[in-house]
Amino acid sequence: MNIIVLIKQIPDSEALVTISEDGAMLNIEQKFAMNLFDEYALEEALRIKEKHRGKVKAITLGSGKAVEALRTGIAMGADEAMLLEDEVFLDGDGYATAFVLSKAIAKEPFDIILCGRQAIDDDRGEVGQMVAQLLGLPHVGSIVKLDIADGAAVAEVAVESGKEVVKVQLPAVFTAQKGLNEPRVPLIVGVMKAMKAQIPRVTAADLGLTAVQTGKQGSKVKVVKYSLPKKTSAVQFLSGEPREAAIEAVRILMDVERVI
Amino acid sequence: MDFALTEEQGFFKKIVADTVDRLVVPKAREIDEKDEFPWELWREFAGLGYLGLRYPEEIGGMNADPVTAMIFYEQIARGSVGFAQSVIMNALMGTNFIYRFGTEEIKKRCLYPAMRGEKISTMCFTEDQSGSDLAATRTRAVKEGKEWVINGTKMWITNGAIADVTTVLATTDPSQGVKGLNFFLIEKGTPGFAPGQVLDKLGCRGTGTGELVFDNVRIPEENLLGTEVNKGAEYLAEILDEVRAMTGAMALGIAQAAYDEGLEYARKRLAFGKTIGSYQLIRAKFADMATEMEASRLLVYYSAWRIKEKLPCRKEAAMAKMFATETCLKVVDEVTRIWGANAFAREYNPQRHFRDARFLLYGGGTHEIIKDFLGRMIIGKS
Repeated sequence: MNIIVLIKQIPDSEALVTISEDGAMLNIEQKFAMNLFDEYALEEALRIKEKHRGKVKAITLGSGKAVEALRTGIAMGADEAMLLEDEVFLDGDGYATAFVLSKAIAKEPFDIILCGRQAIDDDRGEVGQMVAQLLGLPHVGSIVKLDIADGAAVAEVAVESGKEVVKVQLPAVFTAQKGLNEPRVPLIVGVMKAMKAQIPRVTAADLGLTAVQTGKQGSKVKVVKYSLPKKTSAVQFLSGEPREAAIEAVRILMDVERVI
Repeated sequence: MDFALTEEQGFFKKIVADTVDRLVVPKAREIDEKDEFPWELWREFAGLGYLGLRYPEEIGGMNADPVTAMIFYEQIARGSVGFAQSVIMNALMGTNFIYRFGTEEIKKRCLYPAMRGEKISTMCFTEDQSGSDLAATRTRAVKEGKEWVINGTKMWITNGAIADVTTVLATTDPSQGVKGLNFFLIEKGTPGFAPGQVLDKLGCRGTGTGELVFDNVRIPEENLLGTEVNKGAEYLAEILDEVRAMTGAMALGIAQAAYDEGLEYARKRLAFGKTIGSYQLIRAKFADMATEMEASRLLVYYSAWRIKEKLPCRKEAAMAKMFATETCLKVVDEVTRIWGANAFAREYNPQRHFRDARFLLYGGGTHEIIKDFLGRMIIGKS
């Protein structure tokens, strides 16, 4: 069983993020972590490997610093890792990222592709589905349980007020949702292996790609501007009788704040 | 000149920090409040394999160099200094002499289980009348045939109440001062060896620190941890620098934990309509704390690097221990000021850091003794 796990290195949740004066870009403190949903994906891959044997390969698209997320993957138990690193890969949208990832995956043997349902930095939640589409594979999103048997997978997906059970033939792409598992803490033997691991770098040329197909140039979505949410006072007291206050609260939520 | 951690060391720091955040930080308050050894956390943490950090891979260790080890000491102390004391005692001082001088049989019985956390080890220097002044050690070792007979009492022994394996400092001849000192392996269950009073400490709690009593304890001659009699002080000198640098790293860990709490508070606490971090006097505190922590970190890691390179380090390690600890004391104090009255409440962490930091004043030598030693080293003996 060959399992590929797509990992994204994201700014640590405690990293300071500010918007540049012209609103064109984000300045992010250099503190990074592996995307939490990708940790669920990796943990599930390791559990499948432990049960069915096979190999887990972690792949990341990112700058050199992202190798740390891959080393974390090896420390947890991934057998191999690969960094897709090229200046032309940077600043891409979900499509450009999924496109490069799918080209790299196509060169690998695989039965299962796992990744997080979304990255918790931009929260777009699109790369897993796009990779499935680009590789012509079935996709099951936001899984909370995964069983593999006889070349097929049975996955559970949490839906509103219940769960949906899906059966799909392999190979297939699954995106991991919270509740799928509890990611393990790396053992020191894994950490030592990760510290020594030589992680191969793959460039656009290695994948036969050009700059216009990837990264910023290959993106279909362009970021126009970043801005902070409107500052409002934390608490607003409404006076009057409960009925009038409730009507006023609904009016504010619908007409002023427009949250419902 | 290169002050950077290697990519591998940077990765190790991240992994250890994440592990500490996940396993240790959530238990720190409970360890402090209950003042009980955290057995569940110990088993979980030991299962990860960090206790063999400084020993070769062939025997199940990690073969970490002193710089990498310093990263570990700093991070685990950031999580809980009480737990860090128990862990580091086991990983460094409590097993060092057994690793260096124990027979294979002793290693099988004591070292390897301690590296797996199945046995808990400690090292005993301090007595009720002596601490940094090792020459005043009163615990006696007398050779009788093929046995050593140990008599005495040790005090302030980390892991004391729960230790399975102890490395005990004793003198064969008090008139010889440091030249009569030796280390002996004494195991739990040996007749005459028992834990005594457990101390109720201001900080660094949950370590079972206390008294160990040796009443006519008879041990076989191979339990002398050394190749020669009366060379204990020389053997000790070989790990003293790492112990001092490690104490500095623990100070950095506490300082960082307190600093992070202070920073978070300064960014969100409002006063007169603005976050307190926007006022100059609070900003100045962070400028000073960050500067002194950075200087401490350079000194601690520089010492570790010298130890790794086998360069003389007695002076640097003593400076690192003292400077980092004094910095830590300043940082924990400043953070209680930044937190205002909330720092005085037991439900928040600044008061714990404030209490914990005090203990590092004594371990690895009091600063009065270190200053005297450094002054003598710099000026020369009169």
